Amino acid sequence: MLQYPVNIKNPNPKYAQIIISQYGGPDGELGASLRYLSQRFSMPYPELKGLLTDIGVEELGHLEMIGAIVYQLTRNLSYDEIKKSGFDVYFVDHTTGVYPTAASGFPYTAASMQSKGDLIADLTEDLAAEQKARVTYDNILRLVDDPDVREPIKFLREREVVHFQRFGEGLRLATDRLDSKNFYICNPSFDDNCGCKCNK
Amino acid sequence: MNRHAMMKKLAAAKFALWEIHLYLDTHPEDITMIAAYKKYEAKYALLLHEYEDKYGAINIHDAHGVEWLKDPWPWDGKVCD
Repeated sequence: MLQYPVNIKNPNPKYAQIIISQYGGPDGELGASLRYLSQRFSMPYPELKGLLTDIGVEELGHLEMIGAIVYQLTRNLSYDEIKKSGFDVYFVDHTTGVYPTAASGFPYTAASMQSKGDLIADLTEDLAAEQKARVTYDNILRLVDDPDVREPIKFLREREVVHFQRFGEGLRLATDRLDSKNFYICNPSFDDNCGCKCNK
Repeated sequence: MNRHAMMKKLAAAKFALWEIHLYLDTHPEDITMIAAYKKYEAKYALLLHEYEDKYGAINIHDAHGVEWLKDPWPWDGKVCD
């Protein structure tokens, strides 16, 4: 089952072309998932391994929701609708298949994410990533009127805010275990005896 | 049986289930394999119970607290008991 229901009555290829960016765009759910599920391996503390695993998995659920939205927005289209909406440039390569791309047509690239192997760098990137995704959802909400589309998008936007909160707590948990005079004296994701590895 | 050996058995049982699951995607009417799935499911449940009794939950549905935050993690490789 989807994390939040998607039931769109009216197809709209223009909306699909915008929303696909959260499938395969620079701040989309695929990149989010891959970022967290990759970063978790080098995380030194159990709370952070758990947090990245859990949010990474939730993002895969969000990828499925975005796919469902795009799919439902592109059902039963006429050639006329395809041409008039500008969806023709997507249609020519993918028909109505769901493909990981940015709205601009730039295909999904891992170049928009990082796995740095340093917990402060990685968690700080994660905080920014959640805000960038939140802004993308805000922009989608500026452009989309249909409540059937807005409701699941609003849900996804709220999840970005919650994840930002959890990542903030994760960063706090991390810095609490480091030397308060210099957080960067060593890298707990790599160096032994750096910070407190105990689960307190 | 030590933790690692038990985990290996559990993973094998889970994999057997997954393999049948995949087969059933393309053979949904094969009642023999549906029955086999049920059989292995029961086997897996038994092994899971045995493992969790000894080492704690590996699945959130069976957890009593926040056991999922405890070592070892799936990517840790072979660890001592």
